[in-house]
Amino acid sequence: MKLLDKSKLIKNHEITALDNLEMFCKNIEKNNGIYNAFLEINKNPALDCAADIDSRIKAGEKVGKLAGMVVGIKSNINVEDFHITAASKTLENYLGSYDATVVKRIKEEDGIIIGMTNMDEFAAGSSTETSYFGHTENPAAMGRIPGGSSGGSAVAVASEMCDLSIGSDTGGSIRNPASHCGVMGFKPTYGAVSRQGLLDLAMSFDQIGSFASEAAGIALMLETIMGFDYKECTTIDWDVPEFTKMIVSDEESSLKGMKLGLVKQFFEVSDDGIVDIIEESIDNMEENGVEVVELSFDYIDLCLPTYYLINYVEFFSATRKYDGRKYGHRIEEVCGDEVLRRIHTGSYISQKEFSGKYYKKALQARSLIRKEITKLLKNVDAIVGPTVPKLPHKIGTSLEPMEMYAYDILTVIANLAGIPAASVKAGEVNGIPVGLQFQAKPLDDDKIVQLMAGFEQINKI
Amino acid sequence: MKCGLEIHVQLETDSKLFCTCRTNYKEAKANSNICHVCLNQPGAKPYPPNKKALDGAIKIALMLGCVISPEVTYFQRKHYDYPDLSSGYQRTSIPIGDQGELNGVRIYDVHIEEDPGQYKPDLGIVDFNRSGIPLIEIVTEPDMKSPEEARKFLRELIRVLEYSGSARGEGTMRADVNISIEGGKRAEIKNINSIKGAYKALQFEMIRQKNLLKRGITIKQETRAFLESQMITVPMRLKEEAEDYRYIPDPDLPPMLAENDRIEKIREEMPEPSHIKTDRFVREYGINKDHAKVITSELELADAFEEVVKFIDPKFAALWMRDDLKRVVYYNKMSFKESEITPAQIVDLLKMLEDKKITAKAGKRIMEKLPKNKEMPSQIAEEMGLIGVVDENIVLKAVKQAVQENPDAVSDYYEGKKNAMNFLIGQVMRLTRGKADPGETHKLLESELKT
Ligand SMILES: [Zn+2]
Repeated sequence: MKLLDKSKLIKNHEITALDNLEMFCKNIEKNNGIYNAFLEINKNPALDCAADIDSRIKAGEKVGKLAGMVVGIKSNINVEDFHITAASKTLENYLGSYDATVVKRIKEEDGIIIGMTNMDEFAAGSSTETSYFGHTENPAAMGRIPGGSSGGSAVAVASEMCDLSIGSDTGGSIRNPASHCGVMGFKPTYGAVSRQGLLDLAMSFDQIGSFASEAAGIALMLETIMGFDYKECTTIDWDVPEFTKMIVSDEESSLKGMKLGLVKQFFEVSDDGIVDIIEESIDNMEENGVEVVELSFDYIDLCLPTYYLINYVEFFSATRKYDGRKYGHRIEEVCGDEVLRRIHTGSYISQKEFSGKYYKKALQARSLIRKEITKLLKNVDAIVGPTVPKLPHKIGTSLEPMEMYAYDILTVIANLAGIPAASVKAGEVNGIPVGLQFQAKPLDDDKIVQLMAGFEQINKI
Repeated sequence: MKCGLEIHVQLETDSKLFCTCRTNYKEAKANSNICHVCLNQPGAKPYPPNKKALDGAIKIALMLGCVISPEVTYFQRKHYDYPDLSSGYQRTSIPIGDQGELNGVRIYDVHIEEDPGQYKPDLGIVDFNRSGIPLIEIVTEPDMKSPEEARKFLRELIRVLEYSGSARGEGTMRADVNISIEGGKRAEIKNINSIKGAYKALQFEMIRQKNLLKRGITIKQETRAFLESQMITVPMRLKEEAEDYRYIPDPDLPPMLAENDRIEKIREEMPEPSHIKTDRFVREYGINKDHAKVITSELELADAFEEVVKFIDPKFAALWMRDDLKRVVYYNKMSFKESEITPAQIVDLLKMLEDKKITAKAGKRIMEKLPKNKEMPSQIAEEMGLIGVVDENIVLKAVKQAVQENPDAVSDYYEGKKNAMNFLIGQVMRLTRGKADPGETHKLLESELKT
């Protein structure tokens, strides 16, 4: 059933929110043991919430736009009375004491929060293997990583354990698992969604976004969570578009007249099988009225070093509060290798004697990358290409840090530039999903939703 | 010697710098003025900086003659590990003003910071009520040449801060001082909490360094801590000294720009800084500098003075307001403002004195009655029967009459009985119905009895 149809049926009391929730709960009971998508499920408050929504619908009262939709939240976003662990031993006993702004908004729109999803420890990874609570399986390609860091949220949607889920994206943490699991994942423009309540990885890159199995779900969730928050200084004060209006059901393609840029370097770094599928998808879009132009981006080699230097330094700063005094464990004493590597490197390169050499240089490089990307986007509606240059590797494969980081090369650019980006499923290589990425100008989030909806339509996903 | 200061004082605001918690941390029960933001709990982000704090800091910078930064300013994170710091870093702005001057001491930098919580090892707790309260930090050039000069500067600075109405007083002061003497190296002294402490620390350090030099020992550059209880300085642990704060711009707070309009508005509305007011009083009213300083020590007192001199000779008013008014207010342990004495009351009182309707002595007695009293001095004088000053000739006549009429007392006086003089003064007072000045009468009686 299409999500918007389901939403309508719930609001018309033809099916109940409770039915919807029970269906997912059964699925979670059956499958979460296999996939480990959720770290914590809190069924009773969810049942109360569903019953309340149903009774209000029955009484003819107005309900929110997410009425009855079941939502999973990544474990690094504060939800009152849930364990906000960031999948780390550091916070294994930490209970959220307040709702993040996005969570408040989801609750206000009558979304039903069912539980907290698995992730890479402190979101520092792209495989969800580094979780203190065990890895998450990829339902689309069993035995392979689901991607990360928001692997649990992607899998929760991919394995139909909830309607929608929320993740965070610092260098691809939403788009990467969306690509590997064959679902949709959207990273909004930096500042479009409040980070109040999101545990930090790298504050100047972090952005909360959503997963769904269809564009309508993305649109619904973006409408819910986006918008100015006076309690979060980096949010933008703007008129949030009505994303659901982009979801047209008639045959007229919403792709017609769109101009897409194809950056050749993004293809050069990607595996052949992936390139084939993305090129096929682009051909298909061209046949449906999209104009494609070739672009060139000369700074691709600069992106990963710039991204990681800033990430290390900001993460080092963000983790100073985990000093063992308030939350039980000192982070350095209990965390995994990747988190420790980032803290140590961040501490090292932010020393006074090096600050000019590394961190300030990285900030300059970021400005340059932002400028160049803005230039590329000037004459197109969006840039199109692969989301991840490689297929998800087998769980347990040991990788050098540089091999691991190479998975992020195509996703970090949107975070460096602060632009919106999303991944949709383009096809499969040997049954393993491959994602296609759209990237657009700041605050052109609606164009991406439009493209996702159009893409969905022509591919009959 | 040369010495420079870094002074922190809390800004006066109702709510904290990055959240809406209240700032009355001293009255509140431990850990009651807290939220996820000032506790820096996982995921918490600062709210936009408190505008009142930013405006207050700009105002103080302007009052210290600073140039307000025309560039964007921003908060940095200063990292260090201490129980009172819930985030592991302190947010501190880059200079919002510089190139100022106060009493010949150059102001190098004025910026804003957040206060950490309070670690109370004796109670085994950290109280985060103070965490996030806005502080202003003022950094001077090493322009003071003695502990006395530093003390004088600090007193003047606290006066400016109190005047601004935007800062809390000496009670919230924390200072670091740096000192270098000829032939030595720069030493920094931390943990100073009062003007007296700064003075004592500098004095101790100056003597300590001079003694070392005398004995031919080289002075090393170091950071020392002041122990208030013993009034001495001791070396700080090496680790603290070598700390690298790893400053980075805070990514959660966007850059700020103080627009010209806003600066000009603050400049227009800000009180005239006390040191400038002092000079103006000397110039405009012809009073001497010491008087001007005392009168401008409190903004309300200075304002009252300017009201009073519309009706009273400034020099006469300055004399009375500096000496007697200040004495009475001080005796009652009040500020002038708290005494609730009005300029109208002062004018009324000084007019009676100028018109010689009452004696100076009566004036003093009336002044003592004024704190928290809505009555006018003329009314008080009436009630106390103090109206009317007797002409010196009348007093002289009364003196003669008292001597003539009381030969026994006179002979007692010559025999050295002290009571005799008091008796005679009493007689003169009786004859003048209490309006003679006793001191004056005493003198007149003595010279009468000598002849
Ligand atoms: Zn607070």
